[in-house]
Amino acid sequence: MADVTLTNVRKQFGTFVALENLDIEIKSGEFVALLGPSGCGKSTTLRMLAGLEFPTSGDISIDGRVVNDVAPGKRDIAMVFQSYALYPHMSVAENIAYPLKKRGVSAADRKVAVQKAAELLQLEPLLDRKPKQLSGGQQQRVALGRALVREPKVFLLDEPLSNLDAKLRSYMRAELIELHRRLGKTMIYVTHDQLEAMTMANRIAVMHGGKLQQFDTPDAVYNRPANRFVASFIGTPSMNQLEGQLDGALFHVAGHSIPLDRTRFADDLGTGDYALGVRPEFVAIGDGELPAKIRLVENTGHEQIVTLELTDGTRLLARTDAARRLDVGQNVQIGFHPDAIHLFAPGEEGPRLNKNDAASVIPMRSR
Amino acid sequence: MQRSMLQGVIVNLVTWTLVLLIAFPLLWMIITSVKPQTELFRIPPTWFPETITFEHYWRLLTETPFLTYFRNSVVLATTTTIFVVALGTLGAYSLVRFKYRGRETLAMLVLFTYLLPSVVLIIPLYLMMVAIGLSNTLVSLILAHTTFALPYALWLLRSFMEGVPEDLESAALVDGASRMGAFRDIILPQLLPGIISTALFTFILSWNEYLYALVLVNSDSVAPLTTGVMSMLISAFNIEWSLLMAASVMMSLPLIVVFAFLQSYLTSGFGAGGVKG
Repeated sequence: MADVTLTNVRKQFGTFVALENLDIEIKSGEFVALLGPSGCGKSTTLRMLAGLEFPTSGDISIDGRVVNDVAPGKRDIAMVFQSYALYPHMSVAENIAYPLKKRGVSAADRKVAVQKAAELLQLEPLLDRKPKQLSGGQQQRVALGRALVREPKVFLLDEPLSNLDAKLRSYMRAELIELHRRLGKTMIYVTHDQLEAMTMANRIAVMHGGKLQQFDTPDAVYNRPANRFVASFIGTPSMNQLEGQLDGALFHVAGHSIPLDRTRFADDLGTGDYALGVRPEFVAIGDGELPAKIRLVENTGHEQIVTLELTDGTRLLARTDAARRLDVGQNVQIGFHPDAIHLFAPGEEGPRLNKNDAASVIPMRSR
Repeated sequence: MQRSMLQGVIVNLVTWTLVLLIAFPLLWMIITSVKPQTELFRIPPTWFPETITFEHYWRLLTETPFLTYFRNSVVLATTTTIFVVALGTLGAYSLVRFKYRGRETLAMLVLFTYLLPSVVLIIPLYLMMVAIGLSNTLVSLILAHTTFALPYALWLLRSFMEGVPEDLESAALVDGASRMGAFRDIILPQLLPGIISTALFTFILSWNEYLYALVLVNSDSVAPLTTGVMSMLISAFNIEWSLLMAASVMMSLPLIVVFAFLQSYLTSGFGAGGVKG
């Protein structure tokens, strides 16, 4: 088990800055997800941890040792690749045994270790097969087996589930959570799928444009997003963000005013442009003063996602239970749950301006 | 139904005509090599020899330096192949995996040498060989063959190398292999079809090459089969047809055997070159 620390890490490819001043401290035994859209620098971060890329500046340390110049094989890490990267010319058993072979483990000990890993991952009947004779899920388990066979300090997983179909993915997700609990090892998991990050990780590092946006628990990332990017990236459908003007305790949007509870927000907010954020589950249809028109109703069976249009054309989403009858074209009055309102500074990464206790979990029933 | 059958017949007819046209000289070569001298120039010619004799083969092996030429050719083609495959594999690895300035230009320039007719390169090469004291040696031929086989080998291996996912190498590095270790354990086995087809191309090229051998080498002891057999059996006054045909059969044999065993690899090599090269 090991702490993993990135201190002021910067990575540049030519003139392109892939990562800027990244500071992350991962505790021993923690399951951390690096989450972000493609090109946000999450894979680069992982590859630097693995030693496949080198930081332009800054330090990476594993278990208290700076590993900037340490070769990948000597870092005591294991990595699972998105493509699984199984060696096609080797059998499953040879694939799993390869890291041990490279460390000079004797053939007898290798056999025992492979057997143990195969038992853990239910691979025993497949040991003599070649990777191309396996299904996607089986290949995935072989890749995991190869990673855990030599008991590394840190596991690095690069979108390991993205090539699986939806059903298998949710199954493997549960398997991975179980595996983490059983092994208790530090795991760092790169994904662009927020569902994976939210369900599996102890903490999530949300990244965007080569910068760390927020590094916190799934609950905090969802309920107290650090800025507008995190607010819009986390949650499906994502948080509504309405651009408008703050004037005292009133937020002006689409020709109407929404009264705010000023005690929930930073005290020094001046008059001017801000963005009001509210998650779709806290938009109440038929309970409020803001006039809107229903543009689209999507019924998923257990809930409805309703697209609403304000008088100035701004669109927002609401989530209601499936039983409610709503018609496209219908004019309604909407309102926002006052404890669920976030206020952000303008700009794509405008920071959240709530005091930090506010807008935490509100029971669904109280909507 | 009827139309498609007719089509089939026509296609087959055309194909077999072509095959016969192409294969006929080969066939005639084999037939001639086993005909006795007396039957050789008979008119009309006999399609199948009345008596089959291997005396030409025997004479070739016992009374002429054929075996010396054969050995020279084997040494020449084998060494060239080893050189080209070794250099080509490492070069292709560099072109695909490492990022440095002028990488693409380099790859293009390598191919550019193919635009020059080989006759143009012969004189400078010859002068160079003389200058470094290698003229009239097998080494000079090995070097010359390497220079003109390498560009194509590099190009072919490059397209195979591009087909090997980088993740495989990264995985090997993480698993504890050194860079050379990953190359040996993971990349080379993946590259095997490419290496085999490159080796075949090179071997055939070097085995059949005539012009360079004619210019760079002129003594019997180092001449390969192509030039050796020609100068031995074709003189201004006389062509020893039956010996020549026997020699030709024996020259072709190694290639045919190798081809038969590795032809599936060779066609995959053509495919790779066609799609990506």
